[in-house]
Amino acid sequence: MSTPEAQGPGVIHDIGYRGYTGPRLERRAITLGLFTHTLRGVYGLGRAGRSKVVPFGMVAVMMLPAIVLAAVAIVTASPETTSPPLPYTRFAMVTQGAIAIFLAVAAPQAVSLDLRFHTLPLYLSRPLERSDYVRAKLGALSAAVFLLIAVPLLVIYLGNLAAGLDPGKQTVDFLEALVGVALFALVLSSVALLIASFTGRRGFGIAAIITVLTLTYAVVSALQGFVTSGGHDKTTAGWIGLFSPMTLVDGVQVWAFGAESSTPAGPPGDAAGAVFLVVTMLVIAACYALLARRYKKVKV
Amino acid sequence: MNRTIVRLAARAILGGKRVWLLGVLGVLLVGIGVGTRLLVPGSPSASLDALRTIAFGTFLPLFGLIVGTGVIGPEIDDGSIVHLLSKPVSRHTIVQSKLVVALLAIVGFAVLPMVLAAAIIGAGAQTALAFGVGGLCAGAVYCVLFLLLAVITRHAVIIGLVYALVWESLVGSVIPGARNVSVQQWALSVTGSIAPHGVVDAHVGLGLAWVLIVVVVALGTWYAGTRLRVLVLASED
Amino acid sequence: MNKVPARDVRRYVRQVPVIETRSLSKRYPGVTALDALTVDIGEGVTGLVGANGAGKSTLIKILLGLADATAGGASVLGHDIASDAAALRRRVGYMPEHDCLPGDVSATELVVHLARMSGLPLDAARERTADTLRHVGLYEERYRPIGGYSTGMKQRVKLAQALVHDPEIVFLDEPTNGLDPVGRDEMLGLVRRIYDDFGISVLVTSHLLGELERICDSVVVIDAGVLLRSSSVADFTQASAELAVEVVGDVDDAVTALATAGLTVRREGHLILVGLADDTTYDVVRDVAADQGLGLVRLERRRHHIAEVFEEGAADVHA
Repeated sequence: MSTPEAQGPGVIHDIGYRGYTGPRLERRAITLGLFTHTLRGVYGLGRAGRSKVVPFGMVAVMMLPAIVLAAVAIVTASPETTSPPLPYTRFAMVTQGAIAIFLAVAAPQAVSLDLRFHTLPLYLSRPLERSDYVRAKLGALSAAVFLLIAVPLLVIYLGNLAAGLDPGKQTVDFLEALVGVALFALVLSSVALLIASFTGRRGFGIAAIITVLTLTYAVVSALQGFVTSGGHDKTTAGWIGLFSPMTLVDGVQVWAFGAESSTPAGPPGDAAGAVFLVVTMLVIAACYALLARRYKKVKV
Repeated sequence: MNRTIVRLAARAILGGKRVWLLGVLGVLLVGIGVGTRLLVPGSPSASLDALRTIAFGTFLPLFGLIVGTGVIGPEIDDGSIVHLLSKPVSRHTIVQSKLVVALLAIVGFAVLPMVLAAAIIGAGAQTALAFGVGGLCAGAVYCVLFLLLAVITRHAVIIGLVYALVWESLVGSVIPGARNVSVQQWALSVTGSIAPHGVVDAHVGLGLAWVLIVVVVALGTWYAGTRLRVLVLASED
Repeated sequence: MNKVPARDVRRYVRQVPVIETRSLSKRYPGVTALDALTVDIGEGVTGLVGANGAGKSTLIKILLGLADATAGGASVLGHDIASDAAALRRRVGYMPEHDCLPGDVSATELVVHLARMSGLPLDAARERTADTLRHVGLYEERYRPIGGYSTGMKQRVKLAQALVHDPEIVFLDEPTNGLDPVGRDEMLGLVRRIYDDFGISVLVTSHLLGELERICDSVVVIDAGVLLRSSSVADFTQASAELAVEVVGDVDDAVTALATAGLTVRREGHLILVGLADDTTYDVVRDVAADQGLGLVRLERRRHHIAEVFEEGAADVHA
């Protein structure tokens, strides 16, 4: 079939219109498409080179200690060592600065652009529902953070195996830590996405997310250290851990898996630990509900 | 100093969501003072140390970031800075007017809460004043630096964050040689000189600290004005 | 290779109105955007006309489910907008009035992504994007970031994303906004072709009444949320029962003289509009002009324009 020659840019042609009679995908497939698109966008894939700097920079920052830890494990391996240099469950806390920066840039990338350029009507006049949009964005961000933490953790795990540590115990510890990583990813992503969804300005979103994530941790851990050493009150210090996302999930890890606490004081007792879990779930649920509400009311 | 620009910048900072964030931070700062006082009464020096670390190490850089980029960043971002640039106002006047607003915001949302928190903890008036002056110096330098950063690049916030979090929180506090290049340390020297002896440790000579503060503020303000003159409004990256 | 062009199949099959509204209302505190609007819109190119703020965009947003009506209901392509909105959104396309394009992606990337959001599989999305961008007239530009496009190019991208998934009806909100006269003509021509060649019904809004007269099959006129008129364009612009008379000399004298001669006379600027009773009216005008010594410059049947619908209560002048 031959096409007529173009008569220059901007002139509109009639080259024959073909209708579309092929398959049209259901909502779930469409939502999955938005999920993958957002996940790729968060890591800068398919976009300009500059947008890959921060995501992959943070990947590098996370991989570095992981490689170091794996190497240390192998090098210092001896028949007496039974535990790795750093417990899996502590890795996220140690690298939380990089995670925070990653999220601070990723969350606005996921949602602030659509708000700033008023692209939402183009989405919402399609089969996609508002709740699908929220779920896809939240899922993509959580998956991105999960990968960010889990892959270095895998490197550590393989290093520990190569160092000759007991495979059974290591595998169990690793899997338990992965559950913790999933919780970290969900909680941090929900909070970050909620903050980012309130502004179309990327810069402000970044500052706000970093402030909330970093500052809450700084304040909570300072107060905890303070109360523990100065007041010798581990119970109160433990409860203070509820007030920052990182210490909250760490508390759940301590309670659920008997992990070593990354804070001066873990949840005081079993009942408190259960409270930590409940609060974690509540935070995720509340953020999701607020996000859904935000996108119901957003001006289209 | 142009009063209209001051008014516009004030409205930009105080209207909208930025002021909520600043307000929460200010309240949080006071809350730390209250919290430490309630939880562990009777050890003001330890509480003061905690306040000092948190305020100078994390809060002030973040305040400086939010306010310094906030007075000019959004305007450059969406291009509305052209309205200012097309008026017969000196670029330096624009920068100075915006900095005035930034400083006032820092005083209101950071310095005053800091002084209040120190007082609540039970530090003496002299110490509280020392914290205030030191906080003001740090806040001023941060504002100038981040405003300059916002004029130079659209990614000011990210770069500023890395500086604030990585450099100031970690390196600046720990590595001896790097302390001379850390705004936090300059401010602490000023604080230490005003507070009663021994309350605050200083790692940078007082004279050097003052010189650095004044020079950075003056130079930064001037350079920001110069860069504003050759500002290129690019499209999205 | 289609055996029967898709557009013809659609024309034969559909008998129901494409859009029906029943007492559709949208009230905000202090402002009524739509007031009990009841109108049927059929196939073809329908113009939705009204001043800025008359309620055109609101109507489209309600029909698409982007906003909720405060009262009344409507259905599009047989789908009720309240209960069946999801199924409806599979079959429609929307070109918003406002700027809605992200600046950092290229036209191809954006349209492919939105085609997939409409349910097209990836390969089909890529293929149809290439076709659609060609139809709207974007060639090499399609690979550059949208941030650097001119207004005309951006309007074309918006139109392309509305058409890429082969909808059955498209809603175009002010498609000629910001275009220069040449661009406007091209866009209007394309809008006409969307129905004639692509077989897709169109609801197009504009506050420029004249341009819609040229391309629409029917017109719906609303003002302040109230329906003023809805009929085919042919009905609107039919010849009216009036003569337009233009004379050299004192117009007021002419008006008085014509009125004295027993004619219904109305003045519009320098034009005199004379009620056309029958063929003798022409003779009467000619004779009056001759008697008064006035040069007769124009004597023709007057055609209506859509703008007249807004001029309620133009004063009549009688002797």
